[in-house]
Amino acid sequence: PLEDLFTTLNRHIQASAFDNVVKFTDQILAIAPDDEDALRCKVVALIKNDRVEDALSAIKSSRKQLDDFHFFKARQFPLLFCFAIEKLAAVQKPLNCRMLDGNGKKRAYCLYRQNKLDEALESLKRQERNDETMLLECQILYRLGKMDACIEIYQKLQNSKIDNMEINSVAALVMAGRSS
Amino acid sequence: NPIVLDLAYNMIEFPAIENRM
Ligand SMILES: [K+]
Repeated sequence: PLEDLFTTLNRHIQASAFDNVVKFTDQILAIAPDDEDALRCKVVALIKNDRVEDALSAIKSSRKQLDDFHFFKARQFPLLFCFAIEKLAAVQKPLNCRMLDGNGKKRAYCLYRQNKLDEALESLKRQERNDETMLLECQILYRLGKMDACIEIYQKLQNSKIDNMEINSVAALVMAGRSS
Repeated sequence: NPIVLDLAYNMIEFPAIENRM
């Protein structure tokens, strides 16, 4: 049953065996096409395996099953599926913030990886601002060559506990022609 | 050109599925 599949799935996640994670999420989704945990795991595993196109496809393909508005009302926890969330955002603002947390971020990240930088920034604008979204914003701004904006955000992130952040801050400073 | 590390990658995590097992 599903419990056994999730147990195996968890083992593969712990082992960072991302191909197997995708395989087992597909098995779960064959039985339970609406299973959000399985869909989330699939998207994350695809990203971790650098299969950015496939991750975006998985996010897009989930739109239909999550289109049902009542579905969202019933469950107030972060959802992964940005297309549905965008639709929802237009209808029901108060539920927005927590839902945006999990998902549009992943879409933004996929777009960043595809070098669709303007779209990625656009997608991030709908996110609640936190260390994670600001970090991604920095990376996008860096690629866009918008060093001043990039540095400004890195400075806001200075007190966060993100590993290796100084490296990126310094890189942005160097690119902007400032010495650190 | 200084290389910017993809730190955002590390921020993407699997959901907790212990309660599904
Ligand atoms: K980068």
